[in-house]
Amino acid sequence: MDKLASLLHMTPAIFWMVVKVVIVFSAIMLLASVWTWVERRGSAMIQDRIGPNRAAIFGKIRIIGLAQLLADGIKFFFKEDLVPEDANKGLFWLAPFLAFVPALIGFAVIPFGRSFESGGVTYYLSVLDPGNGMGLLYPMAIGGMAVYGVLLAAWSSNNKWSILGGMRASAAMVSYEIGMSLAVVTIFMTTGGYDPAEVIKTQGHLPWAWNIVRQPIGFIVFFTCMFAETNRLPFDFAEGESEIVAGFNTEYGSMKFSLLALAEYSHLMTASALVATLYFGGWQVPFVQNPTVMLSVASFLLKMLFFAWVFVWIRWTLPRFRYDQLMHLGWKVMLPLSMANLVFHAWRMSQGH
Amino acid sequence: MFITFALITLLGALGMLLQKNVIVAGLCMVATFFGVAGLFLLLANPVAAALQVIVYTGAIMVLVLFVIMMLNSHEEEKAQSTRPIQRWVSVVLLVLLAIGAVKLVMSSPGVKSLAASGAAMPQAMTLQKLGTALFADHLLGFEVAGLLLLAAMIGAVALTKRNL
Amino acid sequence: MGVIVKKVELSWLDRTYVWPVMKGMSITFGHFIRNLFTTTPNRYTIQYPEMKKEIPEGYRGLHELKRFEDGAIKCVACFMCQEACPARCISIEAEEFSDLNITQGFEEKRPAKFSIDMLRCIYCGMCEEACPKDAIWLRNDYEVAAYDRLSMKYGKWDLMNTYAEADGKERLSQDPTPSVPRRTIVM
Repeated sequence: MDKLASLLHMTPAIFWMVVKVVIVFSAIMLLASVWTWVERRGSAMIQDRIGPNRAAIFGKIRIIGLAQLLADGIKFFFKEDLVPEDANKGLFWLAPFLAFVPALIGFAVIPFGRSFESGGVTYYLSVLDPGNGMGLLYPMAIGGMAVYGVLLAAWSSNNKWSILGGMRASAAMVSYEIGMSLAVVTIFMTTGGYDPAEVIKTQGHLPWAWNIVRQPIGFIVFFTCMFAETNRLPFDFAEGESEIVAGFNTEYGSMKFSLLALAEYSHLMTASALVATLYFGGWQVPFVQNPTVMLSVASFLLKMLFFAWVFVWIRWTLPRFRYDQLMHLGWKVMLPLSMANLVFHAWRMSQGH
Repeated sequence: MFITFALITLLGALGMLLQKNVIVAGLCMVATFFGVAGLFLLLANPVAAALQVIVYTGAIMVLVLFVIMMLNSHEEEKAQSTRPIQRWVSVVLLVLLAIGAVKLVMSSPGVKSLAASGAAMPQAMTLQKLGTALFADHLLGFEVAGLLLLAAMIGAVALTKRNL
Repeated sequence: MGVIVKKVELSWLDRTYVWPVMKGMSITFGHFIRNLFTTTPNRYTIQYPEMKKEIPEGYRGLHELKRFEDGAIKCVACFMCQEACPARCISIEAEEFSDLNITQGFEEKRPAKFSIDMLRCIYCGMCEEACPKDAIWLRNDYEVAAYDRLSMKYGKWDLMNTYAEADGKERLSQDPTPSVPRRTIVM
């Protein structure tokens, strides 16, 4: 009974934490589902089509096709949940969750707004307060975990094409992680810290002081590797209609498939938030020294959504790589590039810049 | 918290040993790694926890699972009939190893200081401290390890790729 | 004999891959912006039930059995279309049509049953070519769909009444008796 009472009188800190968790994760899930719509409409516009615009609530309210989201959701909920006969049932169930959870919780350390003080307490606008010791290692660790969702989904469905897709995807993800890590390490080095809040603070509010200007090579490497990490189109080796049917999610249907799709888009959101934080000054508003909290959140959201849109944009511009090209790019181009970037910045720092 | 993580670790390890399915055993190992990462966190060493997850679960286990899938061994290998002497030898070795490990831990200065001063929490590890330790205090060891890894890598390339 | 394919030598700018990607992205972005500021009806896509494509002249769609002004069928049941049909979807039953006792007195042949199986029809237009009386032709209408197989079997009255209202004609459900012998009518 005492415990219950203490729960009711939650400390403001815990209450604040709960609020942050609920808001951040529901916002990401919402954005991820909206982004399926953006993907479809955006691709339609890029290809001179129209895209989904028919679904309507009560047959009237179309809201430029946004009702399609509801229709899709309802459809997925009420579809029959099929499990292939020879599949490993437990893992088949587990895989979508293993894909979805890492994609979502990678966001936890990223500050989405300026910290503010109220009543002598500093409130940080990130789920985990800065100084937690994990810093940017956390999203990288969690991003590495995302492989398991794909790998298990592929293996447990007991389908040759699924396994091929899953293996290709996991190989790509593992090999691109190295280039990405080295690019991030360069940022750690120039920042002198690995906390996202620190990274943002050292970048300042002037756009030419952001990391994109300081380390363009690092940005290119990181951004490219993010495509491989999130399994997005130039590198989406988990799929491939022409050669391996639908890849790792061939056997998935109904809500499990929808979870896998949502995982991809939440991963996309987390990746674009990371890009915005690392290279584009996070919540910093250009040319504004001390932005208000709302302004900083808006700035962060704008940057994040822009990069999420770039993900969509690139998907509908570039064709899929061949597997050997991917490996070639990953090991012989991206890794030396990020290595060179690291050495160059180390040299610059030793020269006292 | 400690109990939770320790349970995750131990159950994962047990599951890995007892599971017949190779992939599930691999997953149990991932759970074990996670438990260990959690224990690192409790020891105020988030860097080690993150590196544990990045290196072991994110890279090594993925490669192991990858190889298992590549070989695609759905059917379990038949266990060879063991001679009882092997079993006894293994048990004896295990006991010796356990005694040695416990003795090593109990006699380490960290545990002794913990027992002496009671609740003095160790300082949280950061990446900066780790870097200083590696590149200043233990530079020679670090370089030797690097050289060893390089040699291993070159050896692996030379072995697998005959026609260079 | 093999053909030697010349390998395209890429310039160093193309080989960096970054510049061509930028070029490609600018193209797709151009399309995106252009479509963003074009209203939906003005885009390439034809929004089907509301908008319909302009059907070209000579399109071969749903069949119609033509009739004279007074509504009598033009077909004389000569079986030419049935013979010409490569899909064998036309089946005709002829009948002798005489109303000597009613009017001026003439004897004619006409179809008692004339059915086209629209599921088998390939819309090749051979029936139209073969018809000596210009009694059958393929219209521009292409919306031929039904919920069951039976209703895809178009009978004589269906064929005579296809889109009758659209052409400003009366719908017919029974054969009106022709008032004049057809032989005398100039086609």
